[in-house]
Amino acid sequence: MSKLDQPKLIPRNAPALRKAREKNPQPHLVAGNPISTRLESGIGNCFPGLECDLRNLERRFFPFLEMDMPDVEISLFQVDIDGAMAARKAGKITQATLDAYWTLHKETGWIVETMSGTFGPLGHLTLTMASLKTTSTGPGRQPPDPWTAVRLLTEGTDVRLVLQMKSAPTAKKVTITAQRARYLGDDGALAAMFLPGELTQSLCSPWTHDFRDCACFYWASNHPDIALPPLPSKHTTDPVWNFAVPWERSDRTIGKRPPAKATVEYADELDYYQINGVWQSLNFVLERREQRGPYVQRGFAGKELDSKAELETHLRYAAGVELAVLQEYLTAAYSLKPEADLSGRIGDDVRAAYAEIMRIAIGEMRHLRAVNDVLAAIVGRPQYTPALGVATALPGAKPGQWWRVVPNPLTAGALQRFIDIEAPSESVDGVYARILATLNQQQTDLEKKDENIQAIRTVMAEGEDHYRTFRDIQEWLKPYLHDETKYLRRRNLTLPPQGNKANQVLQQHYRTLLDLLYKGYKAGMPNGAENLNQARNLMIAKKADKTEKLESIADAAKAVADNGFLVSFVTPPGPHFKPVNPPDPKFKLSAAT
Amino acid sequence: MQRIATIPCEPAAPMLHRFRSDDGEHLLVIPYSRLFDLSPELARILDRGGAECDDLVRALAQPAIGEDPLDDVVAPQPQSISLNVSSSCNLSCSYCYAARGGFEGAQNEPMKWETARAAIDALLARADATAPITVGFLGGEPFVNRALLHACVQYAHTEGAHRGLDVRFSVTTNGTLLRPEDIALIRARRFAVTISIDGGAQVHNRQRPSPGKRDSFAQLRQAVAPLLAEPGLAQIAARATVTRHDFDLSRRFNDIVAVGFSEVGFAPLRMDKGRGDALREQDWPAYLEALQGLARSELARARSGAAIRLSNLAIALKQIARGASSPYPCGAGGGYFSVAADGRWYACHRAIGTRDFEMGDSLGLDGERRRAFLKRRHVHAQDACRTCWARYLCSGACHQEAAARSEPACDFIRSWLEFCLGAYCELSAHLEAKVL
Repeated sequence: MSKLDQPKLIPRNAPALRKAREKNPQPHLVAGNPISTRLESGIGNCFPGLECDLRNLERRFFPFLEMDMPDVEISLFQVDIDGAMAARKAGKITQATLDAYWTLHKETGWIVETMSGTFGPLGHLTLTMASLKTTSTGPGRQPPDPWTAVRLLTEGTDVRLVLQMKSAPTAKKVTITAQRARYLGDDGALAAMFLPGELTQSLCSPWTHDFRDCACFYWASNHPDIALPPLPSKHTTDPVWNFAVPWERSDRTIGKRPPAKATVEYADELDYYQINGVWQSLNFVLERREQRGPYVQRGFAGKELDSKAELETHLRYAAGVELAVLQEYLTAAYSLKPEADLSGRIGDDVRAAYAEIMRIAIGEMRHLRAVNDVLAAIVGRPQYTPALGVATALPGAKPGQWWRVVPNPLTAGALQRFIDIEAPSESVDGVYARILATLNQQQTDLEKKDENIQAIRTVMAEGEDHYRTFRDIQEWLKPYLHDETKYLRRRNLTLPPQGNKANQVLQQHYRTLLDLLYKGYKAGMPNGAENLNQARNLMIAKKADKTEKLESIADAAKAVADNGFLVSFVTPPGPHFKPVNPPDPKFKLSAAT
Repeated sequence: MQRIATIPCEPAAPMLHRFRSDDGEHLLVIPYSRLFDLSPELARILDRGGAECDDLVRALAQPAIGEDPLDDVVAPQPQSISLNVSSSCNLSCSYCYAARGGFEGAQNEPMKWETARAAIDALLARADATAPITVGFLGGEPFVNRALLHACVQYAHTEGAHRGLDVRFSVTTNGTLLRPEDIALIRARRFAVTISIDGGAQVHNRQRPSPGKRDSFAQLRQAVAPLLAEPGLAQIAARATVTRHDFDLSRRFNDIVAVGFSEVGFAPLRMDKGRGDALREQDWPAYLEALQGLARSELARARSGAAIRLSNLAIALKQIARGASSPYPCGAGGGYFSVAADGRWYACHRAIGTRDFEMGDSLGLDGERRRAFLKRRHVHAQDACRTCWARYLCSGACHQEAAARSEPACDFIRSWLEFCLGAYCELSAHLEAKVL
């Protein structure tokens, strides 16, 4: 409260206001943790932190004990024996507990052998620290490491520690029980047990060692996470050159064989001081590969379209493509065997494939929206009508080649088609390249222009990610692709017959969904928000346990798939959702394959 | 900015000034011109005095972030200059400070191009490039040497554009010689034009006679009409000199407005070289009343949303709002210099030929002379001013009029300032209420 608050001074001009706003006319240093450690602000992470090292929050989980948790141990750093004695005096702890504190205080070198407590969602467990080295999956799993175990402990619940001397593991141990400390005090600030400066006592040192060691993908542009080795010549096609190597390897020479692949314990890397001295020997990494010669950007620019009307047509077609591919991807995803029916390695592979295809399909939904936003910006709001008509055909791998839009299970052929659809410079990417080239040439409002360009570029970049992901999926499913029965629900999946109830519900929901999207897109933001929220809910709302009613598209699709049929999406009648042909004047649907 | 000296404030100088208006009681914190409403609670604290009061006052008087210490004497780079391009004038106004441009021998010839160009070059090279730079034209009558004036504007504008500088112009003129090409020039560049016009035909012709008894008012009105009708980028203001013979400011104001001016300012004559026209001690109360009367009618218009046309009032209100607070009344010797025809730089255009105000030339300023001048003219160094509550608002008034300083003249200034402070509080409260 500044001096000027009492008595009340009402400022009437600028310098009066300046003075009245001064919180503290004579600023003085305030002891404590800096404001960057406030958890609602700041970049606090655990790796090891830029403004606040969150790992340090766990060091005082046990009252009056300060722990260090490097790697696989919890080692006792020091005991707040004064605090313990005061607590005893106040009757808050028993004499036996205080004695335990004294034992721990008198010698150094204690580590935690076992810890019992309530570990959040894992429930009550007794953990042996030395055994926490396995990966943590499935029911009955344990935390992967001691720090994570401490992190899981529920505040205010009992924790029992058994500590042993690290140097004499069989000597007398100390057992001590207390309630897991709270992070925050009653006033909502960090608990008083955290001393000033504690949360920032270990931070990244980005400009020195951390540049070399950072493994949390923070250094997006100047420290590669993955690097392929430089090619010995531009004609090299041997796939041995396509494995990641450590970009910080000591041996910078490139011979006939590539450097050894990157592994966790790479033998010979430039160390911290060394790398500062030879930084110029680090290669530029472009397109994920170290480059040593002149680099020419691969890629192509599309040819500009001739008019605004052509641009509109292409955008409407692009939207139609997004809708078409997302339908195909959803169909493929739902054709996979469900998780419950598989186990072991194949179960992991199929589960991963399903998850990734769904991620891609959802990405296409966002693309559909993005393209509509760009269309609305180009055409202008009052005139804009949403582009929700599915494309009749997709551009094929070669110019003049067209692919029909058909629901297919995830056969080897379908998977290859997905790869081809998303391949850069081809197919769908080609459609967007022309749109992008046209937008770049626009003479319109610069802010809007940039927004539109970034939106299209994002769609294209994500397309590239989809391409890589489908190739990964092909890699994962390679052992099974020859035998559909291994990984698909059944051989020769077909569309459901007329009377299939689940499919009827699915198609009803789909129609409603498109109507909601139409209204929402047409209204724009924020007026259309409610429609879009309803649309989202309709897609994913989970059905209540005891009912049979299929609340959402997800429910209905799963039901159709469980019935043993292909999930498909029937275009509703009406002018709003009329399918769109490719804008190529030479296009003939009959010629599409 | 380089601090070249410090002149501490008089310890006994008042830090606060209380006044009332129709909007209540108010408090002016004198350093930094902070204006507050004075609540009864606060008034009690101030009346009681003692430690609590002292602490509060000290806190209020401390500079806030961005405010410079008022004790400092600083010597910034020159940011604006005026060029005395002409040494003569087609009128012979009785009160002319420049003796029609010749400055009684100090300026025998008009300025030459080389001199003007050197001054402009020096200004553009040294000024702060992030702030506006001004080239002004004075005399005599500047348009007597219109060829030079046009050349300077062209040059300064082009050079400024090359260097990405914001170059503006100003001119004080009697307005009678304006030709179409002059008006075109003024319209096309950011000119601040001050036209000397003292009132209606009668007053004006009496105070500002044209040789051969021609009607200088009619000449002025005709020449200036196109510019007033279409000012382009220029800002046009009228400046009327008031002698002790006529205080009917309202009539003169209306006559000037009738010519087409939307900004009119009055300047009372303080130095008259013995001719007897300057205001004397006993004249100030009447002048104050006349000025306040005119101000009140402008304030009444302002309450219904009209602009304030009386510059004295408009500028005062603006300065109060932003909190003008300076130990100097103007930029003389600081950011502003006036260049004589012989190339010498003076602290002020009214002091051409006065040794004490000579500061150097286009090749460089004399640091010692500047320092001495700025120390001498700092308000803390003025005996009469250092304990005045208006010391950072009036700041000692025009250096050239210091010799004419008198207690009644200072009373006038203080009364006028307090009037403006009150008017500010009333008007801002009124307009705020309308908006809300």
